[in-house]
Amino acid sequence: MDKLILRFVLFCSRILIRQGVDFERLKVIAETKVLMDRRRVYMNWKQRQQKENSNPLLMTLIIYAFFGLFIGIMVFTLNSFVLNMIFIHGYVLFMMAMTMITDFSSVLLDTTDNQIILPKPVNSKTLFVARLVHILVYLLQFTIALAIFPIIFIFIKFGILTGIACIATILLTVAFAVFITFLLYALILRFSNEQKIKDIVGYFQIFMTIFFAVGFQVIPRLINLDQLTANFQLHWYSYFLPPVWMALTLEAVNQFNFDSIHLIMIFCAVVLPVFTFWLMIKYLAPSFAGKLASMNSDSGDRKTVSDTTLQSASISEKLSPVFCSSKTERGSFETVWKITGRDKGFKMQFYPSLAYIFIFIFIFVFKSGKDAMTLWNNLSTTKMFLFFIYMPMFSIAGSVAFITTNENFQASWIYQSTPVAKPGQLISGGLKTIVVKFFILIYLIMFAFALYVWGISIVDDFILGFFNNMLLFLLMTNLSDHYLPFSRQLNTKQQTGKFVQTLLQMLLIGALVGLHYLVTGNNWLPLVILPFSAAGCYLLLKRIQNLDWLKISF
Amino acid sequence: MSIIQITDLKKQYNSNYVLKGINLSIDAGQIVGYIGPNGAGKSTTIKILTGIIGDFEGDATLMELDVRKNPIEIKQKIGYIPEQAALYDVLTPLEYLRFVGKLYQMEDAVIEKKSMDLLHLFELSDKAKSRMNGYSKGMKQKVLLISGLIHNPEIIFLDEPLSGLDANAVILVKEILAQLKQNGKTIFYSSHIMDVVEKISDRIIIIDKGEVIADGSFETLKDNAHAGSLEKIFTSLTGGSELHQNTAGQFIDILKS
Repeated sequence: MDKLILRFVLFCSRILIRQGVDFERLKVIAETKVLMDRRRVYMNWKQRQQKENSNPLLMTLIIYAFFGLFIGIMVFTLNSFVLNMIFIHGYVLFMMAMTMITDFSSVLLDTTDNQIILPKPVNSKTLFVARLVHILVYLLQFTIALAIFPIIFIFIKFGILTGIACIATILLTVAFAVFITFLLYALILRFSNEQKIKDIVGYFQIFMTIFFAVGFQVIPRLINLDQLTANFQLHWYSYFLPPVWMALTLEAVNQFNFDSIHLIMIFCAVVLPVFTFWLMIKYLAPSFAGKLASMNSDSGDRKTVSDTTLQSASISEKLSPVFCSSKTERGSFETVWKITGRDKGFKMQFYPSLAYIFIFIFIFVFKSGKDAMTLWNNLSTTKMFLFFIYMPMFSIAGSVAFITTNENFQASWIYQSTPVAKPGQLISGGLKTIVVKFFILIYLIMFAFALYVWGISIVDDFILGFFNNMLLFLLMTNLSDHYLPFSRQLNTKQQTGKFVQTLLQMLLIGALVGLHYLVTGNNWLPLVILPFSAAGCYLLLKRIQNLDWLKISF
Repeated sequence: MSIIQITDLKKQYNSNYVLKGINLSIDAGQIVGYIGPNGAGKSTTIKILTGIIGDFEGDATLMELDVRKNPIEIKQKIGYIPEQAALYDVLTPLEYLRFVGKLYQMEDAVIEKKSMDLLHLFELSDKAKSRMNGYSKGMKQKVLLISGLIHNPEIIFLDEPLSGLDANAVILVKEILAQLKQNGKTIFYSSHIMDVVEKISDRIIIIDKGEVIADGSFETLKDNAHAGSLEKIFTSLTGGSELHQNTAGQFIDILKS
């Protein structure tokens, strides 16, 4: 599809531009860039694809179209026309801006062009147009993926005129998204430096990954949302939101209603994106390019900048003597703690899996089609708190694999070249970090919520539950392959026995929850089981700590 | 008694031998330059001696300890500085050295003091608390150098230690190596930079295709090969300068066509 769009855009540029552009070279540059887009690894899919000839771009586009399909289906299920259009345009605006920020930033901020293309005999106008063509191809691809289904459905339901108007408003929305992205970058660059942009883009990427994880669960459910929003009312502040302009413009076209409010909205919808776009090209883009150029020309400058981001002492250095026995284990505990806090690759995999905890609890506890209010009122009479006790570990036990991978996996030579007698202690140190840094915190949140709903009676359940969780965690880690922290390449996921392992995990959790379910309500039985659970934890931890080199996988 | 003793060392990858029987015995207190073309087996030898590769044929002992049987004791007394700047660069130098120091079972306070002082000597003290992902390759290489020496090892293995360093740092590292030798340390040094090897090594070992093809001091090598510099000796032994001249000639011819 990208080739087709490229040909179309090139064709247009050939008609529009008369002179000063070398079209042969323009074509070569644009083609190469589009090819590179295909090969670029999309952050959101980093862990899933690894094959050389796969096309991550296409995969992303399909996902976007899939989301768009569900948003589009709402055209048939939602009664309010305006609300519908707000959803569609809001979706396009949000996704476009997020995609530009998280993914296209690497292209926009890339200054290798200056080193690779500028020394070659290409005039600056050709290069400028080539960049423009590239950006347009990129935008069009994503626009089509995002909006194809909604637009088709609108054509079907509301007729040709509204459909054509919708294509126009979608394109205006995209223009506005581009402006927002540029504005964000310009602001960051104005007050900060390149490294900061990368950090901020990183946070957006983590947010996007969580959004995708949640979106897969939530967006299909939106379809039955109709009765919830039957009486929809626009507040005065909604008139400042671009999707509302677009929606009301479409309403005007659809119902031939051109009263003052609709005319104002049409004015906003057409004039503002065009105006801001013009503003961007005229003022923002040149200063932006200048900033970027100056940033890369002076590398000495950058070094002094990095001095300002000093790392303060990590809390892990205070905690490690409390939780760890040997020096090796402490070293691993502290390092895993620090790297998990800073490594983007880890965060992008780990935080979405944390988001799943809350999604699953939500789905399990509130799944039944009953009205949420009665469910909430009856919650304290159920034993649903068991979900709150055991669901976090379900997610976290699966995340242990994330601390074994790292972009810099080669750095793990250090484990082999230093006198580490019991590499199991490197592993146990990392496991302790996961428990102390992540699990306990989440468990406390769960506990606080459960305490609020069920009261003091669940305290002993949560204490027993904690040890059972630890038992489960250590059992799973004992049974799986043992990898040293951050010693594996990011994209390798062990396939063998994965299914058996997950099945085993389910069975174990099931058995423990079942056991726990049987003893709830009993006053003394949980306290009898507790020492056994704790003893099991101790033995399993010792086993991990005593692993020798032969048991370690690479 | 020699401090490094290698007997008939072989190593194969997929039944393809990269080391075809290396025999070496190295005395304490020497700087040994270990050179050879890419893929000759330099890094493999060093990785076997430092215990990173455990699966090999033949025998290797360091300080009269068997590499297979006593890896932990050996590792406590040797330092290894690898070629690419492979370290966890989201850590700061202080944090990384603290981590490595812990793996060497050193005390917190000692690690802290030594790291800070050594970073200061390498002019990195003002960046000691900023993450290394903003560092240049040379700066990372300095941190790696410190991490391989912080526990005051007896034998030091260096794999391309000068890559990425600026001219001043190269001079400093050369001087550090010379003074380590005066303190009785043994240095096993692999590099492509011939003139540095030529100047600091007591003994030069050239390997090619997994075999030792020359061994001796720079003077003896020079006499045997009738060539003036190590680079000339090297090319005459490993492929011949005529071959390179031919290749270069063809290169130019193709450019002209």
